[in-house]
Amino acid sequence: MTDIDVVTDEHAPEVPVLADAPVKKVKVKRRGRITKWLAIGWLAFITISAIGANSLPYIPHSCEPGDSMCSTAVKGSLLLGQLPPKWAFFSEAPKPVNGAPERMGLMGTDKNGFDIFSRSMLGARNSLIIAGLAITFGLAIGTFLGMIAGYFRGKVDTVIENISNVMLAFPALLLAIFLVTFFNDPNTTGAANSRPLWPIILALVVLSIPPLTRLVRANTIAYAQRDFVVAARSLGAKGSRILFREILPNIVPTLLSFALTGLAILIVAEGGLAFLGLSVEAPVPTWGAMIAAGSEPLRNGAWWISLMPAFVMFLTVLSINLLGDVLAQRFNSREAIG
Amino acid sequence: MAGTGKAHLRDSPDVLLRVEDLVMEFPVGRTGLVVHAVSGISFDVLRGETLGVVGESGCGKSTTGKALMMLPRPTSGSVMFEGTELTALPPDQMRAARTRMQMIFQDPISSLNPRRKVRDIVREPLAIWKRGGKEEQLAKVDALLEEVGIDPQRAAESQAHQFSGGQCQRISIARSLVLDPTLIICDEPVSALDVSVQAQVLNLLEDLKAKFGLTLVFIAHDLAVVKNISDRIQVMYLGKICEVASSDDLYASPAHHYTKVLLDSIPVPDPEIAVHQVAIEGEPPSPVLPPPGCRFNPRCPAADDRCRSEEPQLREIATSHFVACHHPLVGGDAPVAVRA
Amino acid sequence: MSPQTQAASRQVDGPLLQVTDLRTAFRTDRGLVKAVDGVSFSLTRGRSLGVVGESGSGKTVLSRSIMGLLPKRNTERSGSVLFEGQEIIDLSLSERRKIWGREMSMIFQDPMTSLNPVMRVGKQLGEGLKIHLGMSNDDARATALKLLQDVRIPEPEKRLDQYAFELSGGMRQRVMIALAMSCGPTLLFADEPTTALDVTVQAQILEVINEQRRDRNMSVILVTHDLGVVAGHTDEIAVMYGGKLVEKAPTRVLFANMKMPYTEALLNSIPKIEDPSHTRLNVIPGRPPDLVNPPKGCRFAPRCSFAQSRCIEEEPPLMTAEHPEHMYACWYPVGSPVHRERSAQLAEQKVGAR
Repeated sequence: MTDIDVVTDEHAPEVPVLADAPVKKVKVKRRGRITKWLAIGWLAFITISAIGANSLPYIPHSCEPGDSMCSTAVKGSLLLGQLPPKWAFFSEAPKPVNGAPERMGLMGTDKNGFDIFSRSMLGARNSLIIAGLAITFGLAIGTFLGMIAGYFRGKVDTVIENISNVMLAFPALLLAIFLVTFFNDPNTTGAANSRPLWPIILALVVLSIPPLTRLVRANTIAYAQRDFVVAARSLGAKGSRILFREILPNIVPTLLSFALTGLAILIVAEGGLAFLGLSVEAPVPTWGAMIAAGSEPLRNGAWWISLMPAFVMFLTVLSINLLGDVLAQRFNSREAIG
Repeated sequence: MAGTGKAHLRDSPDVLLRVEDLVMEFPVGRTGLVVHAVSGISFDVLRGETLGVVGESGCGKSTTGKALMMLPRPTSGSVMFEGTELTALPPDQMRAARTRMQMIFQDPISSLNPRRKVRDIVREPLAIWKRGGKEEQLAKVDALLEEVGIDPQRAAESQAHQFSGGQCQRISIARSLVLDPTLIICDEPVSALDVSVQAQVLNLLEDLKAKFGLTLVFIAHDLAVVKNISDRIQVMYLGKICEVASSDDLYASPAHHYTKVLLDSIPVPDPEIAVHQVAIEGEPPSPVLPPPGCRFNPRCPAADDRCRSEEPQLREIATSHFVACHHPLVGGDAPVAVRA
Repeated sequence: MSPQTQAASRQVDGPLLQVTDLRTAFRTDRGLVKAVDGVSFSLTRGRSLGVVGESGSGKTVLSRSIMGLLPKRNTERSGSVLFEGQEIIDLSLSERRKIWGREMSMIFQDPMTSLNPVMRVGKQLGEGLKIHLGMSNDDARATALKLLQDVRIPEPEKRLDQYAFELSGGMRQRVMIALAMSCGPTLLFADEPTTALDVTVQAQILEVINEQRRDRNMSVILVTHDLGVVAGHTDEIAVMYGGKLVEKAPTRVLFANMKMPYTEALLNSIPKIEDPSHTRLNVIPGRPPDLVNPPKGCRFAPRCSFAQSRCIEEEPPLMTAEHPEHMYACWYPVGSPVHRERSAQLAEQKVGAR
């Protein structure tokens, strides 16, 4: 080999990249672009409708005695009646009560003559508030416990780990039933609007803490072994600084996508509890309560009363999960580049 | 090999770091077994010197580097740094002492927080210790970034994954220098880099060492790299020190059979020489159950019964050249005929 | 597939692998990343080819592109890959699956992640044999044992019933080689097979790969960033830079008479054990080119100490050197008058600087 020096420079300056040169843009194909936007669209629609739910025409309308479209179960005994979707939409007949608009919605009316679409949106508000608050609190507590357990390990870890194991081993439904019954004042049960939201939220928070703690703990352990955390320690950073500045920003993306899945699970869980009559009481609608209320008319062929809110819930949960996937994918690919 | 002994420790006022009888053991799960990562090693580093630590995976070289920073604290032994016994320091004083010694890691990308801007990563140590105002801190950070060849403007806007591996290693180096430490522990800092980039980083380390008057402990598995940067080299095998000598002596007259193996294993970029050299068969045994006697004996061509029962001690075979071997290749009492 | 290539029968006497103008690009938000940009070469059966380059040179993408391992989505691939005379670039996934393992297989840098952690070694080796070669359980186990003996793993019987995590790094890589050999491929891709291993084990693994190549009359493509690794273990070397093949020659010819300043610079940047300590290392300044927007002329020109204006303006084609199998892409190769003049200048500068 020749013994000439190829380069004897010192700090190897960066070669200037011609950043201004035009780069032909190419179209990058991505999985599920359309579904992503559909999901976002649906969630935006639900959110806006939920906010404006009070101005939606959910007020009952009358049902003429002898009207064949009115359910036989109700006919004659009540002026209010359940109408199937098609009829409710095309009929000019419903008489407005208290100035409600003439045409009712796509989804029909329930046995009280309430428009199901409007009620579903009102239900969305309650369901989303309950599930959303529950996941937020669950996330805050779970993240805190998980990070402490995962970073400090030792005794703290053992205690937290054992408690969450016990909670995971306890049947979730029983735990929720127990909590809701315990915290609901028996004297007020049944009275309209008297049941507070917080017992059901508390039950859902308690349900969501153990899995979130575990997730955060596992992630924290993984990141605590990374060199940049060791580097921070070697720079003299204290535990709290490392937890909040080095580790937390790295687990937030995972948490966000998991939180969406959790939100979806909690919406369904609230539905389940409501079905058992453990959520907020009628007439405050939640999706679960609406589905539950439709179980009896279902036997008489009035399928829409249960299925329509169930469908809204299904679409919402699906959209949330899809969005969670999109988020998870995005963060994963970013990590992969890094 | 695998000797203990302190014959090689120096009695000089210039000693910056002195490690004695360092032991690091880790439990293996809940099996009751113990990994003997480092088994009683002693060494010292003079101010301004570069000590190279070389050996294969499992020899305890990285564990030793971390033990110097008490990450975690050693099982037993003493680490004297700038006249302070680190193993006995309470946590708060230890945090402060760590700023005098810094570490550079093998994986340049993993050692930078992927969610933070690079300039903030480099400024972080100053923020932790509240050294100066923000303007002052940024000025220092930018000067250091320039020093290691990173554009501060780009560092302010970008995260680690937007830089190449070599650039990330430069950023790590800048971060390690920001608190003006005296000792830098480099744990395989170039083994994840391309050869061309490796040369850039090694040259940079040499320059910074001269400019800032640093002392380096350079840990690596590549003897050619270690030799290039070090003044003195310590060869490790299975948690013990085999040989300590100046870089050039170690290459010119390796005394330990393991050192010879390491030298012979370096791939030579010349097809006329490099025809299928397999210097040694097998792999190092598990540090959970290290062999008795000299720890290298199961793979050593010169091993005899003595090597299997009696642990060799480090002894001086030439000026400043120490070896822990009963039958060294040079300077031994009874030369042993060994394989080609 | 065109009718002509379909009609062409499998050649036996031609080269095992003939790659012509292979291009592979990835669509990204920044633009088209041209990872492999018009690479042509051929490989005779039983020979080993070292593909050398820095990270980002396209060497890994090249091997995966030849094998058809890249995902179709957002990848653009063109050119021709003839394997035993048959065009394989446009094969469907199911057709490619028939080739993988039986005709060509690959070993990776990290054997831990390429072995199934919850399957015993013997079972993992046997699986492919049963599926591809239709062996019975007993035959598969016997063959698995034979494969482990072939790669000279210590105590092969014991290893059959162990999991990957119970093995050392070197043994894992041996298992990986046994796995790649199991269905008798004629072409083996080894992508940085020794980078994650200890120095003393590296040579052992390269030797095992070479042994297998000789015993099975198989071809090997060894992808690495380390010229030291390929020097002793390959017949030919191809140097890649910025997605292009910049020099290719039989190993001895290349080391005796390098033409590309890049190849030489790469070699010179390796620290030499015989140099006294603190010898200043030669570096290649800067970084590999941006593959979205590569330089117009020679892609190495911005980093090359010998670059002239022609290098920046005009891209050099692959030219043939004195040795007919030695190809290089440089306007002013090592040894040319311009190169000699410039190196004299550089040497003077260096002396002056001291």
